[in-house]
Amino acid sequence: MASASGRQLRAMLRKDIVMELRTKEMIMSMGLYSLLTMVVYFVALSQAGSNFDPRDIAAGLLWLAFIFTSMLGLNRSLVHEKDQGCLEALLLSPVDRPVIFFAKAGGNLIFLLAVEALTLPVFGFLFLQGTHLDWGSIALLPLILIVGSIGMAGVGTLLATMSVNTSGKDFVLAMLFIPLMYPLLLGAVTATGGAIVGGAQGVSVFWTGMGWVVGYDVIMLLASYGLYEFIVGA
Amino acid sequence: MRSITTRAMIALVLGGVLTLGAFIGAFFWAGVPDFGFVRTAGQVDSVRYKGPFEQAIDEARYLANYAGYTVEVEADGESVRGELVSADAESVEIATGSGNVTIDAADFEAATVFGSEYGRPDWGQKIFYFHVPVAEISFVVFAFAAFYAIRFLMTRNRDYDTKNRVSMEVTLVFVGLTMATGILWTKAAWGVWWDWEPRLTTYFILTLLVIAYFVLRNSVEDEERRAVYGAVFSILAFIDVPISFFITRLIPSNHPVIEGGGLEGPMLISFILGQIGMIALGYAIYQLRMGEVQLQERIEQAKTLLER
Repeated sequence: MASASGRQLRAMLRKDIVMELRTKEMIMSMGLYSLLTMVVYFVALSQAGSNFDPRDIAAGLLWLAFIFTSMLGLNRSLVHEKDQGCLEALLLSPVDRPVIFFAKAGGNLIFLLAVEALTLPVFGFLFLQGTHLDWGSIALLPLILIVGSIGMAGVGTLLATMSVNTSGKDFVLAMLFIPLMYPLLLGAVTATGGAIVGGAQGVSVFWTGMGWVVGYDVIMLLASYGLYEFIVGA
Repeated sequence: MRSITTRAMIALVLGGVLTLGAFIGAFFWAGVPDFGFVRTAGQVDSVRYKGPFEQAIDEARYLANYAGYTVEVEADGESVRGELVSADAESVEIATGSGNVTIDAADFEAATVFGSEYGRPDWGQKIFYFHVPVAEISFVVFAFAAFYAIRFLMTRNRDYDTKNRVSMEVTLVFVGLTMATGILWTKAAWGVWWDWEPRLTTYFILTLLVIAYFVLRNSVEDEERRAVYGAVFSILAFIDVPISFFITRLIPSNHPVIEGGGLEGPMLISFILGQIGMIALGYAIYQLRMGEVQLQERIEQAKTLLER
């Protein structure tokens, strides 16, 4: 049974990835969106001159870009399923509901990580040039990106499955997603900030933030996993 | 039908009398709780609105309200005593016998304000007897909403969905009251209307989640689906309640916390009266709204029967 679920999971993940590789729709839209966000950041910071250390605000700006691009991707991934009647077909097929949840969340996680991997160097190139960076602690960044994205993709998939069936899709997703994401965002920004600022203190701050995010992930993923069955069946 | 209204009326009268009693007790019998800046409630009776007081301050910017008071500031291991000239987030200026001393806020460790006569904390603190019960009931009613949500998902009985929705409506009422009274107190005690402080932030998130619940419900057409989505979201949103409740106890926060045995005598009695009264009022609002909703449903049923 376990191997059957594993095969189903892989098949559904492959379906999402193949579709994405053919259309490149999600990566393109999310990537361009995060680039546009950088332009907005430049405008927002243009009046601040050089009286601030970009490393202090980098973490917040990064996660701001991630959370908005993730909403874009989450919405799209479920809108596809719904518009083409794919979700109904999936529900008719003999697949466990949790498998659908993990497959969709896994797909969203992969796209989210891809966009983050694109955004991070671009952000560093545009905003962090000339600042002192501690590469030893920067190397910790992928860890928090992965752990934070797991929570975002998991909870986001559950909420997006709800919001595609509502009349105000994007707005409802934002309204549900951002408040629920608050604890994760706070922890992730704390950890990212610690990693970017670096030093022994930065690293200890990083692990504190990581602790919060991991705790959030465990609680929220368990809740999402348990509740997805009701949502997708309704 | 009648029993619900009767119960609601009894609860309403009981709640009204108890809450009124708590207010009378709070205003004419109990002292002024000193929850301005101090985390422990151990010294609640030490501050009077007439007579001398000592106020401990743990951040330089909170001294801003005390210009003209005699203060003793500890900074960089030294202690400076004198009249406070000005204070903000950057520096503190104190007039001592031998000229003015400016202290950098980064060196600031702690300060004590010595006031007399019209000392703050003042009557604004009396909001404690309303704000705290209201906030606690908002958590309790939210817990009921989450409980009914779980019951609904287990049984698919539509009664539980109605109970879940009505509980969330009552939660919204109490959350609104908590926010309103909290903001008034924040202005009175901290000098600002809002501060991004852990308790305030998590409670603000809670407010948004409760509003989001209604946004979600209103944008789903299908009735069955609306019920399931509402139930699932209220369970997810409930996770913020323990976070909001315990956060002031876990990480440093300026929001006052009542610690065990902090309240005594008249204050404790008024506080407990107010809490019981508020529970009764919450129950009354819930039952009244429930009666209204059930009446609406009966009307709808009657309409569909007539149309046939």
